[in-house]
Amino acid sequence: MEPQEIPEGLIQLAVLDDLLSLCRANSLWPLTFGLACCAIEMMATGASRFDIARFGAEVFRPSPRQADVLIVNGTISRKMAPSVVTLYDQIPEPKWVIAMGNCAISGGPFVFEGQYGIIEGIDKLIPVDVYIPGCPPRPEALIEGILTLEEKLTGKRRFPRVESGAQK
Amino acid sequence: MSISSDAAVDLLYIIALFLGGVVVVVSPIIISKLIAPRRTRQYDNRTEQIVECGVPPIGDAWMRYGAVYYLYALIFIAFAVDVLFLFPVAVVYNTQYRWQDLIELAVFVGILSLVLIYAWKKDVFTWNRRKFRKG
Repeated sequence: MEPQEIPEGLIQLAVLDDLLSLCRANSLWPLTFGLACCAIEMMATGASRFDIARFGAEVFRPSPRQADVLIVNGTISRKMAPSVVTLYDQIPEPKWVIAMGNCAISGGPFVFEGQYGIIEGIDKLIPVDVYIPGCPPRPEALIEGILTLEEKLTGKRRFPRVESGAQK
Repeated sequence: MSISSDAAVDLLYIIALFLGGVVVVVSPIIISKLIAPRRTRQYDNRTEQIVECGVPPIGDAWMRYGAVYYLYALIFIAFAVDVLFLFPVAVVYNTQYRWQDLIELAVFVGILSLVLIYAWKKDVFTWNRRKFRKG
């Protein structure tokens, strides 16, 4: 997808923009929207054990007009794709998209010669801000994705980066 | 006619508080209009679509449907008003004007009974499945 022009307000002040993005980054409102098994992981992320409320992104909104973040979690079938794009259209600016899981990134395990039912990656339809690989990604990975999005907004990382256990 | 200085000061207070209220209410609207993005990115021209769950709407929300509950509400109102206004009448009844009380009561109850006749004509008192025409 080619680079997009992000709509801006009539007045732009550097300090105000910094303040606004800080506010937005610390209270992202995802859309309650599940496509496939990654949605189960998203629900787990919202529930008590992983508790995305610790990072300020727990207000899952049922209406796109109140949401900030579209978490595309799962396989995008051709039949579902118009709905995803509609929901993206209806989210007011500023809005961000997280492609969660291999299906949303590239089609995942459903990509093969001559397949006809799957969109191979949501970034073919709408611009994506953060990719979270995994099949499905663990809830910690989604939290890391939220933190990465915050980093993209504010330019600063709020929590120390957790090193991979495999490297130790 | 001139107002005293105390009243003038009070009036100034009211005007100042009113203006302050207007500023407090209007300024967030103006500020958010100025700093909010003017439009939102869209790829399917569906931003203005009324239905918010992703699927295209079927038909219009402006349609006619049978509001069946109004009959029960009407009968309830009739009896409620009956009871409400007959209690004070019962307290003073037959203390001063005998025939006037009776006639006024009859007129009042008679008008309210028209509701029952209306409901009767609408088949409220028969026990069968209702058919409501659409439109």
